[in-house]
Formats: sequence, structure tokens, C-alpha cells
Amino acid sequence: MEILKSKKEYDVIVVGSGAGGGMATKILSEAGVKVALVESGPYFDPANPDQQTQLKWPWESPRRGAGTNRAFGDFHMSYGDWSLDGEPYSSVEGTDFKWWRSRMLGGRTNHWGRISLRFGPKDFKSKDYDGLGENWPISYDDLKPYYDRLDKLVGVFGTKENMFNEPDGFFLPPPKPRLHELFYIKGARKSNVKVMPSRLSILTKRINNERGICFYCGQCDRSCSVYGDFSSSSCLVIPSLKGGMVDLYVNSMVNEVITDKNGRATGVSFINKENGKDYKIKGKIVVLAASACATARILLNSKSKAHPNGLGNSSNLIGKYLHDTTGAGRGVFIPELTNRKIYNEDGVGGMHVYSPWWLDSKKLDFPRGYHIEVSGGMSLPQYGIGWNPNEFNKFFGLRTGGYGDSLRNDVKKYYGSTVYLSGRGEAIPLKENYCEIDPNTKDKYGIPVLKFRYKWSDNEYKQAKHMQDTFEELAYNMGGIPLGNKPTKKDNYGISVPGEIIHEVGTTRMGNDPKESVVNKYERLHDVDNVYVVDAAPFVSQADKNPTWTIMALSMRTSEHIISELKKQNI
Amino acid sequence: MKRRDSIKTMFLGSLGASITLKSCITSEDKLILDQVWQYNYGRTHEELKWDYKVLTGKFFSDTELKTIDRIANIILPPNENGNIKDAGVVELFEIIAKDFSTPAHNEYGEKVLRRGLVVFDEICNTKFGLKLLECSDNQIKSVFDEIAFNDSKEENLQEAIRLFAVYRGMVLTGYFTSEIGINDLDYKGNTPNVWDGVPANVLKDYSVSYDEEWISRCVDQTKRNDLADWDEEGNLLT
Repeated sequence: MEILKSKKEYDVIVVGSGAGGGMATKILSEAGVKVALVESGPYFDPANPDQQTQLKWPWESPRRGAGTNRAFGDFHMSYGDWSLDGEPYSSVEGTDFKWWRSRMLGGRTNHWGRISLRFGPKDFKSKDYDGLGENWPISYDDLKPYYDRLDKLVGVFGTKENMFNEPDGFFLPPPKPRLHELFYIKGARKSNVKVMPSRLSILTKRINNERGICFYCGQCDRSCSVYGDFSSSSCLVIPSLKGGMVDLYVNSMVNEVITDKNGRATGVSFINKENGKDYKIKGKIVVLAASACATARILLNSKSKAHPNGLGNSSNLIGKYLHDTTGAGRGVFIPELTNRKIYNEDGVGGMHVYSPWWLDSKKLDFPRGYHIEVSGGMSLPQYGIGWNPNEFNKFFGLRTGGYGDSLRNDVKKYYGSTVYLSGRGEAIPLKENYCEIDPNTKDKYGIPVLKFRYKWSDNEYKQAKHMQDTFEELAYNMGGIPLGNKPTKKDNYGISVPGEIIHEVGTTRMGNDPKESVVNKYERLHDVDNVYVVDAAPFVSQADKNPTWTIMALSMRTSEHIISELKKQNI
Repeated sequence: MKRRDSIKTMFLGSLGASITLKSCITSEDKLILDQVWQYNYGRTHEELKWDYKVLTGKFFSDTELKTIDRIANIILPPNENGNIKDAGVVELFEIIAKDFSTPAHNEYGEKVLRRGLVVFDEICNTKFGLKLLECSDNQIKSVFDEIAFNDSKEENLQEAIRLFAVYRGMVLTGYFTSEIGINDLDYKGNTPNVWDGVPANVLKDYSVSYDEEWISRCVDQTKRNDLADWDEEGNLLT
């Protein structure tokens, strides 16, 4: 096999250009470090008209936006979803895991919900509270300065609330609630559920002259062409390229970290997806940010004499403690919101209000907590609108179905009358939930693929049950009617399949003890002093907060650690 | 500087193998784009190839398309706001039949959409000895009266009821995702604007209101262009 090698040696090779890799690229290159950024997907810029989907109308897609090619619809900005042609994965029988992969510059930050929540002091030390899982080797105070800088650098709206475990930051002002959100506020207050403005990384106010301000199209999932929302592509990588310190390799699928005879990393090898050839590039340091499971896969596939069961895997913990956020939801029909006056209520790309975890788990039958997200309103029609034009007739004792001109009015009558409540909760990381290399299967590039084994425990099912009870109460207190049948034990309380919430973390967890963890508190492999991991793989636990803000704060901290190590010539 | 020019093409040492990026649009893509000119919505190369396949093949016969058109016009008769033809509903049936043809969709075109035509024809034939297309509007409506309502318990009609619900769903979703249908719905968004809360007259209509404490902390849209600046405590100064 022909392998093409470059003579050039980089200071740092960053693998993956999402939240973690984008931040590392920015911090390192701005400090004068020569970076190779290696991304498995194509170049992507939301401002490129050839790639843009923002502000497109449903009829601009031949299938009116249906989800044939992209799981969340034609206009959703992710190249890839839970399945990729020629890149399979599997699960151990009787278990299930769904693995989302966005193959493009910026990765999943192009489509994410922009919910930007700091972990709180409790979230780093959960074991102290309930004896479950493991504590992080760092505390909130270690990360706070980085969260503060991140808020100012990237921009996030929100409000100061002085809640112990929902730390405040440097917030832009939030948008006013929409009509259905006012109904939610009313219902939540009646149910004694805390409700407050959401915290999203969307610019309601100018933070610099390079990025535009939100113009309220509600389409952050399509990635913003004026850079009014945060995507790693538009806000970190593309600006970094202008500094001249970054070489970007796109469509380059990393399969291995290369090591010397002493087991230290010397570079990475990758397959160029355009010509199918193998390449090697050299670097003093390798920073992995391919996403939790892809990073685990690269490490496990990097076998050598010095690292016989995978790079940095002397603990045998790579891939273990894989966990995703729990999810459950319920639709609510609000009769008062029928026959609405029509106006533009697109707002920002996400909810304007939400509920952080408001209870004390010590008084409940499950550990940890969840937050509640709210969606609904008069949103842009897409394939599926009007499918059951008058199903809510049943709530008024009227017939459903039929045909004729009245269906037109039925669609208009019920447009914007439903609200959807989603719970997003913390799961307990378990060693028995893992990904590993499936020795019998290779993807179309010849790289061995992953096999998953993931099962929720009773903790998560009880949490989902609590969500469903809460949703039902909230629905009535909002003046609404919960839709469908309430999920019960036999439906596992409607809990998501692991991986469906797309917050998977934990596969190279962080710790002080090399036998009990894979990376140290600076996200460096215990076994190898020049390999770091800056995606969500080092997470010891995934709080009910969304992981992106913490991925970036950690990546910032690790990148500055790398710079100081380079200066000290320790590496 | 054009965005695409800002990306260097990498050369790997003396090997000179160009391996990074090309423009996102290849010449093959251009050829396809030229042929499916009406749809330009940010596709990847693979997606364009699939679209081309979906847009150029033929699934339904002309007679079948005429039958769909007839059905669609009875499910949603034209009025001054819009009609099936302008909404491109029949074309959508043809596209979806080919588009939903992957294993994940279990031959939707054949087993659901075409099956619907067969079943509706059969009922017309049993009742009137005619194919659907040969029936009068009133004859077709008398068939629909039996299969269009979800509360019908008639056992031998259950398949027809299920298929009719799909036809009704396709017709309405096709209509309300078209330009004319979205105008009919009067949807106002998908355009740059400044959200400054629910209009006052709408708030009045409902028993909800903004509380002062909440909105006093919301964005002042007259200052949205002022650069954000905070004191050390995180209080916004601008």
C-alpha cells in the first residue's frame, strides 16, 4: 500500500473541527502555534450560497423539506445523521445506541440547539451528593474563568438568576417570550416549576464587528449566514484560517494516531476521501476532537507494541462510561390558541424560556435532575403540515377526517395551537455502557467500526416517569390537553433511545488515577504525554446541561495548557 | 476576497498531491443543477445526485397522474386562494413516490401511493362498474363519504380508509408547503425582522401578559447594534 508522507512537521495536529477542535484551533493558532486541522467532512461556510439553507422556502426542495436525505429535514444543516452510507456501526443484541455524525467543517455545531448552559458546582462533584458515579478532578472554580471568557468571545443571552447550580455569566439580553411561552410561564408557575429566560448562544446584540446580529428567522438549525448564532465553522475555524497559522485538511478521515517505538505520538494517518489514498502528517502534539465515540475509535484503532490494546488504554477504560442525556417529551394542545391572529413569531432559533432543574433529588426516587425545553408556535410549514388536518376535532366532539374545502379551514384553525415539552436529564455513567471496536466489520475506508452496548438503568426510567408526570400537570395548568396516551412503564415512559439526544460523552473520562481514568485534568492521556482529547470524551458526567459550553471551556483551558507546555519545552 | 479563495490548497511536501479542498460545486454538480434548475437549496454532491434521480425518473403513468389530480381536487377543491395545480400537488406525489423508495421507506410509492389508486379504483368499480377517472364528481364523493372518516368501523374498508388518510395528508401537506398554500395560511415569517414581543392587540385577546420584571431584562431592540460591554459582575453596560 502506498502511503504519502509530508516532510512538514506541525506543532499541533487537531483532529475534528467541531466545538472542541474549533476552539483549540483558535486558541493555539492565535498564540503562534502551527496547526494542522484535519476534518473528515467537506469545507462548510453557512454564508456560502451554494451550501446555504437558511431562509429557503419548503417549495425550494422537491420533497418540500421531507427527511429523506437529512433526518431532521432537507434544510437542517448537518451532513450526516444517525446513519452514513458505507459507515456502519452495530449494537450488542438487546441493547441500542444511535450515533449521530455530522461530517463537515464545524461538525454538529452547525445544527445544534445553541442551548449554552454552564455546569454548576454540584455537577462536577455529584458523587459527593448521592454517592453515584464519579467526581470530576476539577471544580466549577477551575472552569469559571474560561466560561466567563467564552461568554464574551462567543456570545450567549440569558439573565442573572443567582441560582447555586445554574451559574450566571456575561449575558446578552434575552428576547421577549412568544405567546405559547407565556402560556407555559403561567402553567409552570402554577405547578411551582421554576421558569426563566433561556440561555442560547445567539447574538441578540452585537459582540464584535465580524459577526452579524440575530434577525429572528428561527432557523439556527440551518446555521446562520450572518454568523448571528454560534457555529464552530463560522465563528472559530474560518476566522482562524485568516491568521496564516492553520493548514486545513478537509475530507480527511483520520484512522490512527502514529507513535514511535517509545509509544509517543508522532502524527496521524488519514484517508483522503476524494482519492482514497493514505496520508501521514507529522506533529509534535496530537489533539483529538473527533467527537466522543469517534475519538475512542481512533484511539482503540491505534495499536502498537507500546500500546497493544489501543493508544492510552492501559486502564482499559477507553469507550467505557459512554452516556447520553436522557430525553422524554409530550405534546400539548391549547384550545385557546385555535384560530390565531397571524403575525411573525419565528423569534430566535429555539425557545425563549425554559425551566432549569428545580427540585432536590434527595427527596425523590431518582438521582440528578432534568430541565424542560419548550417549543411550538406558528412555525415555518414543512413537509408534514396538515397531515391530520383536524385530529383535534375530537376534543370538541367533532368528527375527524373527511374531505373538501373545510379542511383548509381546519389547518388554519389548529395552526400554532400546540406546544411541545421536552425533558433533558442527567444519566448515571456506567462502566457497562460502552463502545468498542467490532473486529469483524470495516467501513468503506477499511477502518474497523464501532459496536455499542448501552442500556438505561432504573435511575433513568424513574427520571423519565417523573418527567411524564410533570408534563401532564404542566399541560393542564397551561390550559391545555396533553396529546396521545401518557407513556407508561411498558413504553419505558417514552424515554429516548441512548444517542438520540446527541449528547454522548464519557469515553475517555478524566481523573487523577490512571487506573480509573483515561485523561488527566488537562485532558492529556495518562499514558502518552503528547496526546490530548478536547471533545466530550473526557466528561466524567454529563449534567442535565447541554455539553457544548463545557466542551469549549475545557478546550480553551487545555489549549492554554498546551501553549504553556510548549513554551516550557516540556513537550 | 472570495470565501473560497481564503482556503489554501495543501500540498504535501514534495509529493505535491493536492488533497484539501476543492470548490463545493463540481462540474458534474453543475450539470445536474442546470437540469433541476428550479431547486437550488444547498445540496451536497451526493444529495444532488439523488435529487437528479428523483426528478428525472418516471413512476406514475399519465392515467395514474390524472387520477391523482382528480382525487386531489376533490379532497381540496380550488377556491380564490389557491388550487392543486398551482400548489404542484400532483408533482409532489410523483416525487415522493420515487424519493421514499429506500428500504427505510419500504417501497412507499408502490405499496402505499400506487396501492391507493388500485383500491380506490376497485371500490368505484364495485359500486359503479367504472374506474375512478370515469366516475362523476358525485360518484367519487359517494365513495369518499365511506372512506374519508376515521370513525368508520366497516371492516372491509379499513385498508381504503388508511390509504385515503395518506392521500388526504399528501394533498394538504403539498398544498400548505407550496407558495400559494403558505400565502393562504398567511404565514408571516421566514424573513429578516426584529422580534419585540407579542403584538399588544394579541396579548389583549388572551388572559396572559408580560410581567414588568421579566421584560425589563429583555433586549432593548433600539440598542441591538451597540457593542456589548459588561462590568466585572456581568452586568450589561450597553
